[in-house]
Amino acid sequence: MLQAQDIHFCIRSMPIINKASISLAPGELTVILGPNGAGKSTLFKVLAGEIPCKYGKVVYNGFPISGFSAKNLALVRAVMPQHSSLSFPFKALEVVELGLLASGNSYRPDLVEEVMEETQTLHLKEKLYGDLSGGEKQRVQLARVLTQIWDKKPFSRYLLLDEPTSSMDIALQHHVLRIIHKIKKRNIGVLAILHDLNLAANYADKIILLKKGSIIHQGPVNEVMTSAQLEQVFEHPIQVFSGSDKNPMIIQSIPFIQNHLEIKLA
Amino acid sequence: MIQTLTYRKTKYQNLVLGLMGIALASVSVLSLSIGAFHIPISHVLGILADTLGLGFIDYSQQEYNVLLQIRLPRIMMAVLVGGGLGVTGAALQGLFRNPLVEPGLIGISSGGALFAVVFIVFGSSLPFLGYFGGIGLPLFAFLGGLINTLLVYKMGSTTGKTDISLLILAGVALNALSGALIGLVIFYADDAALRNFTFWSLGDVGGANWSKVGISFLLISGPVMLVLSQFKNLNALSIGENEAFHMGVDVQKVKYILLFSSAMIVGTAVAFTGTIGFVGLIVPHLIRMMFGADHRLVLPGSLLLGAFLLTFADLLARTIVMPSEMPIGIITAIIGAPFFIWLIINVKKIRS
Repeated sequence: MLQAQDIHFCIRSMPIINKASISLAPGELTVILGPNGAGKSTLFKVLAGEIPCKYGKVVYNGFPISGFSAKNLALVRAVMPQHSSLSFPFKALEVVELGLLASGNSYRPDLVEEVMEETQTLHLKEKLYGDLSGGEKQRVQLARVLTQIWDKKPFSRYLLLDEPTSSMDIALQHHVLRIIHKIKKRNIGVLAILHDLNLAANYADKIILLKKGSIIHQGPVNEVMTSAQLEQVFEHPIQVFSGSDKNPMIIQSIPFIQNHLEIKLA
Repeated sequence: MIQTLTYRKTKYQNLVLGLMGIALASVSVLSLSIGAFHIPISHVLGILADTLGLGFIDYSQQEYNVLLQIRLPRIMMAVLVGGGLGVTGAALQGLFRNPLVEPGLIGISSGGALFAVVFIVFGSSLPFLGYFGGIGLPLFAFLGGLINTLLVYKMGSTTGKTDISLLILAGVALNALSGALIGLVIFYADDAALRNFTFWSLGDVGGANWSKVGISFLLISGPVMLVLSQFKNLNALSIGENEAFHMGVDVQKVKYILLFSSAMIVGTAVAFTGTIGFVGLIVPHLIRMMFGADHRLVLPGSLLLGAFLLTFADLLARTIVMPSEMPIGIITAIIGAPFFIWLIINVKKIRS
């Protein structure tokens, strides 16, 4: 279990994260949603151990994060940031192999091949990372972080993803979320920041709605993703069509023009 | 099943490094032979074999003396300093995540030079400095290099990321300040020290003797081994400091290891051979262009190629204006500066 209790993070006495408490169980995908500047990335960094929180604590599998060495923490959680650029011309395969660093064993062709197959990056392995498209780069980075926690271990692992599908086309977005859905079974808990409400609604197990540094609502998708609560967080009219066994849930933001707002403004 | 690059690379890495070792040995023997006083290669090999107790060829006592007292220490100094500068360049480029970084450019060399000059000029008048003996000069230069390294690092980075324009500007500022302070110290120096300094500031391996080689070996080999051991961490750092931390690298520790080692290597090099520029810039690039960016090969490759290049540059310095000598720093700058210009023009392509 990944738990955060009353995390508080300030920059110049302005709270960026205000008393946020969350818990992420292995086998679960939790999606963080919220408008720009809500503190999503900051919350993400605190959970990843990148920045320490002043008050409150982050606990991985019952152990406070402050007691982990960088290496041990890397065995428990992997992190995929929004953008990664490389300063030197590495090949895609070399980037994926970096995920083996914490395990101390860089001879794992079986593991690397399995992950690259899964992320559809095997055909890119000999290409230079810098020559790849945005979507390809994201998949290679995803392969890298999956490599880090792929091996089954006696303890649960966690995967933190910051907008993992931002540069991908629709088919790839669904492909990536299917991969995430699959890896949950490996005793891995996944926390992702997403911008696409429909992807979140149809793949997540739990949703966290964040606004101005505070968690407004959190819980199962059906309870959290209601029109009223989404409108409250995003300050924009949003319609929710609840799904069924056969049909996906559809979330629609209402265009201004339809509301005749534009005419009013004129 | 795909073969991991790691597996394939270790196989051919040994081949590449072996070939580079042979090239280094060849240029060293050539350099031992050629010079104002010519020693045939067969005699060079004979004398070297004889010192190991395997004499098989006749040679003159003069040849023996020139080789063992003048040329061999000089070439060993070139190998040590060249290798050290090469590997330092590779490490700093990896750490700063930028292919334009070089010990001379970001002020490490000038910091080392400033402290070395202070030691040379005031060393005799401050008795406590005398306690250090022959090791005082390189240690002092190390201190100067370290101060500038830390300052440049602090000035050039914002929230864990180094901004290359800030970094280069910080280097320019520190170079200017160190240069001015060196000038101030020189102002109080006598004529002999002045002439000495001019040659030294352009880089010179000619003053090498066995005690300097011994001290350099002691001070350089340790930090070089430390840097070589960091290849995995440097690979991780090339995605970014945060990402390296996510992957399990103790970034702060790696930073200190690399900065201390670099200052130690460059400080020692500066103390004994003056400021020799561009080796640390060119060498890692050549290796990357030939064999890719993996530090597993870039670090030891830069060590060997740096040693090779400086030995070769020393050979040129000793022979093109024979029987006189040209400062080696002029040779490396004449080769290095155009390369640097080419690099700036092509930096977008290289950084991918």
